[in-house]
Amino acid sequence: MMGSERVAIVGTGQTKHQATNDGSIAGVVRQAAERALEDAQMSWADIDAVVIGKAPDFFEGVMMPELYLADALGAVGKPMFRVHTAGSVGGSTAIVAQDLVAAGIHERVLTVAFEKQSESEAMWALSVSMPFQPPMHAGAGGYFAPHIRSYIRRTGAPDHIGILVALKDRLNALKNPYAHLHEHEITFDSVKESMMLWDPIRYSETCPSSDGACALVITNEKGGDAAASDGRPPAWVKGTALRSEPTMFAGRDQVNPRGGQECAWDVYKQAGIAHPRDEIDCVEMYVPFSWFEPMWLENLHFAGVGEGWKMVESGATQLDGDLPVNMSGGVLSSNPIGASGMLRFAEAAMQVRGQAGEHQVDGVRTALGHAYGGGSQFFAMWIVGAEKP
Amino acid sequence: MADQDVLRAPNVVEYPFSRTTGPVIGAFFTALREGFIVGIVARDGTVIVPPVEYDPHTSESLTELVEVGDTGEVRSWAWVGEPLDGQPLGRPFAYALIKLDGADTPMVHAVDTGGDPSKISTGMRVRAKWLPAKPAGASEEEQTDPKGAVRTYREGHILDIECFVPGGQA
Repeated sequence: MMGSERVAIVGTGQTKHQATNDGSIAGVVRQAAERALEDAQMSWADIDAVVIGKAPDFFEGVMMPELYLADALGAVGKPMFRVHTAGSVGGSTAIVAQDLVAAGIHERVLTVAFEKQSESEAMWALSVSMPFQPPMHAGAGGYFAPHIRSYIRRTGAPDHIGILVALKDRLNALKNPYAHLHEHEITFDSVKESMMLWDPIRYSETCPSSDGACALVITNEKGGDAAASDGRPPAWVKGTALRSEPTMFAGRDQVNPRGGQECAWDVYKQAGIAHPRDEIDCVEMYVPFSWFEPMWLENLHFAGVGEGWKMVESGATQLDGDLPVNMSGGVLSSNPIGASGMLRFAEAAMQVRGQAGEHQVDGVRTALGHAYGGGSQFFAMWIVGAEKP
Repeated sequence: MADQDVLRAPNVVEYPFSRTTGPVIGAFFTALREGFIVGIVARDGTVIVPPVEYDPHTSESLTELVEVGDTGEVRSWAWVGEPLDGQPLGRPFAYALIKLDGADTPMVHAVDTGGDPSKISTGMRVRAKWLPAKPAGASEEEQTDPKGAVRTYREGHILDIECFVPGGQA
């Protein structure tokens, strides 16, 4: 639920996402944080508290990295919190930060999320052997491919839908200087001909492994008004929601998880949205494998059940469509896992602030940022708007 | 259910990781490889050794690396009477906080007094005992054992300084 204070995003920052960032972990988070502070025209001394998130510590092998990041994030002498909800953590972290402002506890909160995938191999870190059973050796793609196959079986979606999504996101990424992948030569045929990794997921329909970080500066109404009067329009938070489900439960629908459906209705209700397709101008959603775009279009109530793939095929989610999706190039073009959810939230804020540069959608007033994590079991969403709620 | 029906199995988790040092810690280790020690100048003028990327009080980015001496003073110490595998020395030694000449903060390292705990004291002078530089053409195999315990040449590692020994003029 929303707190009593209105909340504004007045600064966003991110690194250039890339396969290997030569900085230390501290250096990577620091760069995103400095850029967010610069955007907010604040210094370290202006920040009251720091909220940091990342995916499993096993991805870099640094246990509780927040312990050594206090100086890099200006948190010395201030409250610092760590959030962890697997791949959705970047979204959950932003929500915890906004909650501290909404509750009136802090006026100005810096929130940062990161991953440095080059320090190890996150794909297989999730597949360590367990006793009493043979190893799965599945990785994230192997885990999600059956969900996608089930979606295709239920809906009769044709094979080229996933290719269309991948092509769109990678072309959008060409307009985003921070995106990891800039594939100038990509075509429908090059995606189609790329190696099949986990049927039906091809290599070019899969997210990359990235080093990167994202940061936001979140303030109360006073801070939002001050930025606005200074000609730096903030993004106002109109709703936030989180939901969780167990990983292993036979009655769970991984294709269209109930947690995601309910999370979406919750955040829409807070924002006063009854018809999301008509009332939301653009969406950044967590799509690590191309087919999750049509699946989440249904889960988030932008399309009826079984209709998401038709919305993709119609071009509605293109940058010039009536509901642009993943204007930044999305997770398919940059995946510093822990930061990926916050990057979705940041892009939504950048769009309503008119700050998205070449991937800006004209006239955005209301945007949805979405993240999911674990085995499609953690959901985090926020609606941000140009107008004060 | 009887106790013997409750199964137990070992679960050893091993996984490879790597580390990127960044420009500041990286400079410290490459200096060790070249046979000298660097610190960094904090906002208040304090020279911190080993160097840190961000000011511990103001969080500002620090960039002014400075060379400090490889001699210094023991500020505090703890005697290791029965060294374990992988520790810097095979015979009894001291772990000490050593304030190097030109530094304002002490650094932890080993002090070798020939196994004699009566020969270390707070305030005593010590100097670094360096491994030799790696000669051109030296093979990787002779450099370190798999656990890194036996080192032959400097390669950018805290044990490029084998240990500190008594001596060294201020």
